[in-house]
Amino acid sequence: MYDAIVIGARCSGASTALLLARQGHRVLVVDRASFPSDVISTHFLWPHGMSYLNRWGLLDEVLAVTPAHTTVEVVNDGISLTGSVPVELLREYFRDLHGDDSGVVQSYASVRRRVLDQILVDAAAGAGAEVRTGFTVRELVVEDGQVVGVRGRGADGEQVEERARIVVGADGRNSFVARTLGLPKFDERPRCTFAYWSYWSGFDLGPAQLHRRGRLACAVVPTNFDQNMVLVWGPSEWSREFRADVPGNYQRTLDFVSPELGETVRARGVREERIYGTLDQSAFLRPLHGPGWVLVGDAESAKDQCTAIGMTHAFRDAELVSAALDRWLRGAVSIDEAMAAYEGRRRSQNAAAYHDYVCTLAEMRPYRHDELQLFVALRGNQQETDRFIATHADVAPVSEFFQASNLFLLNDAAKESSADHAVFADFAGTSRSYQQNLFA
Amino acid sequence: MTHPGDGTVTIELDQRDDGELIGIILAAARRGDVATMARTASEVSEMTRNWATHIPWDDFAALDGADDELARVVADLTEMWEPAHLRNPVDPDEEYALDKNAYDFYRPAGRNLLTRTEDFYDWVQARRRTETWQYSRVLEAAPDSVAQITNDLGRRARGINFNSQDYLSFNTHPGIREAAAKAMHDYGPHSAGSPMVLGNTRISDDLEAALGDLVGLEHVTLFPTGWAAGFGAVVGLVRQSDHILIDRLAHSCLQQGARAATRNVVRYEHLNVEAVRRHLAGIRATDSRNGILVVTDGLFSVDADWPDLVTLQQVCREYDATLLVDVAHDLGSMGPGGTGVLGMQGLLGAVDIVMGAFSKTFCSNGGFVASRSPALKQYVKMFGGSHFFSNALSPVQTAVVREAARIIRSAEGDALRARLFTAIHALRDELTGRGLTCMGEPSPIVPLLIGNEKLARTANRLLFDRGVLAFMVEFPVTPTGSSRFRLQVQAGHRPEEAREAARIIDGALADSRAYLSSAFGSAPR
Ligand SMILES: Cc1cc2nc3c(=O)[nH]c(=O)nc-3n(C[C@H](O)[C@H](O)[C@H](O)COP(=O)(O)OP(=O)(O)OC[C@H]3O[C@@H](n4cnc5c(N)ncnc54)[C@H](O)[C@@H]3O)c2cc1C
Ligand SMILES: Cc1ncc(COP(=O)(O)O)c(C=O)c1O
Repeated sequence: MYDAIVIGARCSGASTALLLARQGHRVLVVDRASFPSDVISTHFLWPHGMSYLNRWGLLDEVLAVTPAHTTVEVVNDGISLTGSVPVELLREYFRDLHGDDSGVVQSYASVRRRVLDQILVDAAAGAGAEVRTGFTVRELVVEDGQVVGVRGRGADGEQVEERARIVVGADGRNSFVARTLGLPKFDERPRCTFAYWSYWSGFDLGPAQLHRRGRLACAVVPTNFDQNMVLVWGPSEWSREFRADVPGNYQRTLDFVSPELGETVRARGVREERIYGTLDQSAFLRPLHGPGWVLVGDAESAKDQCTAIGMTHAFRDAELVSAALDRWLRGAVSIDEAMAAYEGRRRSQNAAAYHDYVCTLAEMRPYRHDELQLFVALRGNQQETDRFIATHADVAPVSEFFQASNLFLLNDAAKESSADHAVFADFAGTSRSYQQNLFA
Repeated sequence: MTHPGDGTVTIELDQRDDGELIGIILAAARRGDVATMARTASEVSEMTRNWATHIPWDDFAALDGADDELARVVADLTEMWEPAHLRNPVDPDEEYALDKNAYDFYRPAGRNLLTRTEDFYDWVQARRRTETWQYSRVLEAAPDSVAQITNDLGRRARGINFNSQDYLSFNTHPGIREAAAKAMHDYGPHSAGSPMVLGNTRISDDLEAALGDLVGLEHVTLFPTGWAAGFGAVVGLVRQSDHILIDRLAHSCLQQGARAATRNVVRYEHLNVEAVRRHLAGIRATDSRNGILVVTDGLFSVDADWPDLVTLQQVCREYDATLLVDVAHDLGSMGPGGTGVLGMQGLLGAVDIVMGAFSKTFCSNGGFVASRSPALKQYVKMFGGSHFFSNALSPVQTAVVREAARIIRSAEGDALRARLFTAIHALRDELTGRGLTCMGEPSPIVPLLIGNEKLARTANRLLFDRGVLAFMVEFPVTPTGSSRFRLQVQAGHRPEEAREAARIIDGALADSRAYLSSAFGSAPR
């Protein structure tokens, strides 16, 4: 009999197991995959994601093999902003959400999942959690409506049953726990992006670059093995046409969104792997908990990749749920109180506002005139640019940036005007042309 | 190739991408060709297999014969393969109406000022068609605790009324109506002109004296609206090289005044007096010559909280800054003898500048600015713009406010405030007891936090037909993602009415959540 069985041993699962084990609880964590291995994900970690790793004592191990930076360049229709997430906002984030702000770091990195997830799994084992990889859960053991354990098959092919006081579903977007319990989906937002990426050597551009033009976008971020993760994305409505020629349209997107980047990749880049992709990224929430079970990570809330936040959210869930479960397992609070505390954080108004922010961005509509003007107004205003980046990354609440008095002041303080940026020259014509499917 | 420190993985560059493979598997599945499915599956990337864990990639060959299993695989693969919005079509009007917010239209494109407003208008029309446009409703009769209204599509409703700012229920008070009638009889409906010319009457002088008495600041100037008073006070006093520190959530008339007066505007964190101290120290470190105006509301109109004015005024004095407090909502409706937040904090006569509005408790239009300085009074009258260059309050309005000020100070005023607070507590307790979040402190404003705009707009649509008139506030009144219902309570609300309204609102919220299939709750963070 374990205190907790965690299904899934990646960003949310291994972390939850690690934290619970460190608190002295008996934990079993299983995953059908073996490690090191990848999972569909472009693995960018914002500074709060890195800070979680630092809080858990794992950041050095990651940084030993992964390049990291603090400033990021964001270019929207030619309007460039460069900034970083302010330390003070990071501290506030951790204080608000977790009650302490230790371990904050300002850097970001792109960590291959085969690297990161292995470090997490090893750390969980090192903390005393029992880790079984190559173990597929095939049934939940349910007694009197309460989940009390799992049945599954291990690497040796043998069928086993294990029991615990709580089963944690850390089993991703297509969660086995959710499907088995027939859990509904809430707050669905079907419009999302298609995303295709691969790994390139042959150039080093320094910090991360994110580019957007019309309905398409691309990003280049240095990652492990002296490679760059080069990603393109666009509206899922255009995915069929994109799919007709993946390598050709991948390059075409780069050329369209950032001709300079397109040229770098074409002329100097060596592609090291096949091109990966998906368009299955519609957003939803699931019920968070029920008798004997609780969900974390993508299983509880999946959303589009366009703000590169899922892994960081998985870490956040791990800290929140392990803190809640610890109080219950120690007998300090009832399970209902523990779960209510977790739910309060995870289904808050700030969380709702960010859900909307991501889902709206994921529709990849061409930027509106007023949105582009805002980017112009931000140029030269470093403090607000940084706060905007922090808002985009879900460090600072959406409501604090998108507030009338702030937006008016930003406007008043603008140092540049539309005359300085080409996209405004024939705005109506340009916007119309952006509606054209580039791949049709 | 092989990664350092990991001898096991070989990645073939020429492999087909997963999309193509899934396409082949899907076509084969539809034919029941499990052999092709299994063969193709072995080529699918490890990434995708580890992610799409619900697809039995390794067991395709065994699907033979089990029909519904095959159908399930087809369904699951299709979900990965086809854009999700094609499976779940939505009403485009409703999507448009619920997704956008007014901010999306603040900087329209184009050089023709007439035509570039059309984009916004399209959105307004979508909101109206879907009955989620909460603005511009009209009254059919005198409102009290219940009102009868028509929305801007011409639909009627009647409900418990939380949309009137008439906190002490003066609109139906015989004394108030009599004062209006008498002034009408004595002076007629017109205000003859600007108060700088001949717009004021003897009643105006009486009123200035009564207000001076109420806030303990004897030099009072009247304005035609509260908005004009706030805007006029700020632009009257502050010049380009001066500074303004303003609470982020202070009222629009003050924010706009600040923007019009100077570019040196700092919006400090809501209620944070320590932040004000830091900013003041920062400004004074480099600028010892120019003025600093610190601006805050008393009772905040959509948050129902108030600052520690004692410390704020002290801090202002330390740095030779001037404090302006807007008491539009609290003066008359709360505090000892109706003296509002100032009286509650023992600050009568002790704040540099106080402004207020008559549009709430005082049952009229209009506003005022008060201080201890006759010089400041004359200066603001001359340079405030909205005083000099706008017609004075009408005699009827002035008389109503004067009578309201009298009742506010009387024993009847105390009794009315006691009734008001009984209703406030009934409303807040019932809402809180139902797990909803009332923001701020007990006061005539009860902000019920909703957050998400879609939820608020949908609940607002439902409430219209359920007998509660509650104003939904969203951007630009509140920040994005923190919309709320602002319930304004009146002395005339019976506690049972307040509780009934709370039950109805709770029901409408629950139904809206179900309609939107939303799992978000009402905790702020
Ligand atoms: C295209 C794309 C790009 C992305 N880019 C980023 C990014 O740049 N930055 C970022 O932060 N996030 C990104 N994300 C999101 C991120 O990948 C996810 O949020 C994150 O992987 C969620 O972690 P998790 O631990 O909850 O689930 P997962 O990583 O999906 O792990 C779930 C685990 O559960 C296991 N499992 C499932 N069922 C069973 C079972 N029955 N028995 C045993 N084990 C089981 C699986 O094998 C799997 O290992 C991206 C996502 C996509 C789709
Ligand atoms: C705090 C505050 N100040 C000023 C005003 C403006 O008052 P009036 O409506 O009289 O113009 C209002 C009302 O909207 C207010 O809430």
